[in-house]
Amino acid sequence: MKKWTLFMLIFSLVLLGFSAGAFGAEDKKIKAGFIYVGPVGDYGWSHAHDLGRKQAEETFDWLETVYVESVAESDSDRIIDRLIQQQKCDVVFTTSFGFMDPTIKAGKRYPDKLFMHCSGFKRSDNVGTYFGDLYQMYYLNGIMAGALTKTNKIGYVAAFPIPELIRHIDAYALGIKAANPEAKVHVKWIYAWYGPDKAREAAESLIAEGCDTLAFTEDTPAVIEVGQSHTEKGKQIYTFSHYSAMQPYGEDSVVSGQLMDWGGMYVKILDDIHTGNWTNEDVWWLAKEGAAILGGNETDPINPKFVDDLKQAMIQTEAFGKISAYDLVMKRYDQMKQGVDVFDPFTGPVYDSKGTLQIKAGERASKDDLLSIMYYVDNVEGTIPQ
Amino acid sequence: MEEIIISTLQRTMVAGTPLLLATTGEIICERSGILNLGVEGVMALGAVTAFIVTMTTGSPWLGVLSALAAGMVISIIHAFTSVTLQANQVVSGLALTMLGLGLAGMVGKPYVGKPLTIKMDDITIPVLSDIPYIGKVLFSQSPFFFMAIGLALVSWFFLQRTRLGIQIRSTGENPKATETQGVNVFLIRYMSVIIGGGFSALAGAHLSISYSKSWIEGMTAGRGWIAIALTIFALWNPGRAIWAAFLFGGIFVAQYLMQPLGISPNFLAMLPYIATLLILVLISLKDPRKLNAPAMLAAPYKRGER
Repeated sequence: MKKWTLFMLIFSLVLLGFSAGAFGAEDKKIKAGFIYVGPVGDYGWSHAHDLGRKQAEETFDWLETVYVESVAESDSDRIIDRLIQQQKCDVVFTTSFGFMDPTIKAGKRYPDKLFMHCSGFKRSDNVGTYFGDLYQMYYLNGIMAGALTKTNKIGYVAAFPIPELIRHIDAYALGIKAANPEAKVHVKWIYAWYGPDKAREAAESLIAEGCDTLAFTEDTPAVIEVGQSHTEKGKQIYTFSHYSAMQPYGEDSVVSGQLMDWGGMYVKILDDIHTGNWTNEDVWWLAKEGAAILGGNETDPINPKFVDDLKQAMIQTEAFGKISAYDLVMKRYDQMKQGVDVFDPFTGPVYDSKGTLQIKAGERASKDDLLSIMYYVDNVEGTIPQ
Repeated sequence: MEEIIISTLQRTMVAGTPLLLATTGEIICERSGILNLGVEGVMALGAVTAFIVTMTTGSPWLGVLSALAAGMVISIIHAFTSVTLQANQVVSGLALTMLGLGLAGMVGKPYVGKPLTIKMDDITIPVLSDIPYIGKVLFSQSPFFFMAIGLALVSWFFLQRTRLGIQIRSTGENPKATETQGVNVFLIRYMSVIIGGGFSALAGAHLSISYSKSWIEGMTAGRGWIAIALTIFALWNPGRAIWAAFLFGGIFVAQYLMQPLGISPNFLAMLPYIATLLILVLISLKDPRKLNAPAMLAAPYKRGER
């Protein structure tokens, strides 16, 4: 018996050696490693990144990818080392803000490898950054929310009080204001990126307080399920899907939403690396680049069930005169696709909730302003928790 | 205002339901002297089983039954290590939690993000549900709510008043004396662990096919651990567990209601745990014996040893 075991061991070692040899023979290939902060099945952030990874892998036959999911931020050094040393990755994508410093450090440790960090602001010779933001879509959702609400109380379930979320809430509130200056936004914080139960209770308490329209930034479809179940019981609640196509969770409740397509960005970045055109310059993609997409599923920007209601809701605007909410959304969406210089939600005058003028009339917030925004605009109730 | 109160109470009942199911199960288990820290894992496994079976067969009740079976089967592992092998129950229970969470994540991977279109209708009891305020809160709820209350009451009666219940309790207090009375201690403990596991799995089924109507990894979100704390909070009495579970459900729901008052959300999220500590301290200060813990809890029983 023992002899056999020994033989099998040697045999498998030899086999392992062969496969490693065969692997090393191909050198034109690029291997990319992805590090996700959550499970790929989270139906939000990590899921969207993984769809992007798959798209890139299908696009290029010279590309091979590996991923590690549910990586704790404190554990990322070890995972980066593993991807470089064991998996022999040429480029590593780190897809959470908390991976920023470990990524910079890894760049120093492995000067001949490339690193791309998502959502951060630190760069070095071989470490670049990239991000896709959805605030424009929140603005468009806000227009629809403002047009549809009957109680003039609009809810928002939010994960953590950081600039990204404040930017989303403010853009949503500015959209609401454009359609309905009377409506106010009520925010509930759940302190979790991934908290289906917390999001559910937060949504329920917003509805109990009289909100009939809900948007959120969180990685589960819980808010939509709440909206759908109230709608089925006869109380129409309007919701907006976030990040992934969540409309199937609430066909009678989801009006529209925000979708993020990382695929295009990953294809471009990897193509640049392959052709040698890569630089460490920040890649910041919005509607113009096709990263931010309007809709609660892949086919309809607005759920057909609500199109008629939105076409009947007339809004008085400065830019287009009297116009239906539906047309306003479509016109603004077109402008956003042309670029932020054509139209951007954060164009002055914008006052914060304390009455201070934050963006002067005619001016547009810069990218840096947006990345550090930490005030509520004037139709958001309450204060940002410390 | 009226709507806020009714909605809050209604949500309290929903949020307390899985806690009550899991706590009742853990009470039966601990009453027999076995500490089961695997509740969280069994709950996750119950959730994923119920979801997959409901989705493929179209019958939520079949889903519930399969979850029950899955929870009972996986609990045999804990019963085997802690009763037959007399291993450390803390280690075995923790292992069961990790095993259950991991297994559920693996089995459930293809089902993540798929909405469940088959719904379990709420049970509305005629006449009673028309009572103002209480009617909507207590008599128009998901079947799991009535199941949880029913099982807790039955378990209370079972443990206090029936022969088998008394055998379970005396096994937890003094297994050797119980064995001399001709009771099969091993069998009693196996049974209690398995029943407890089944209850935990029911709690999981509530989460996936009634509460969320979806399966996502990590959806149990620590409820199993709260159930273990609630077992102590309820002083190992299923009757008291009803109050305890809904009190905790209420605290969970109240967090979000209290946010506009300017209280830090972080502080509000700590409330259920602070409440547990407070109650434990208060009871222990008064009279530690009143804790009523099974005397031989977590102590392995070796047959024929002195």
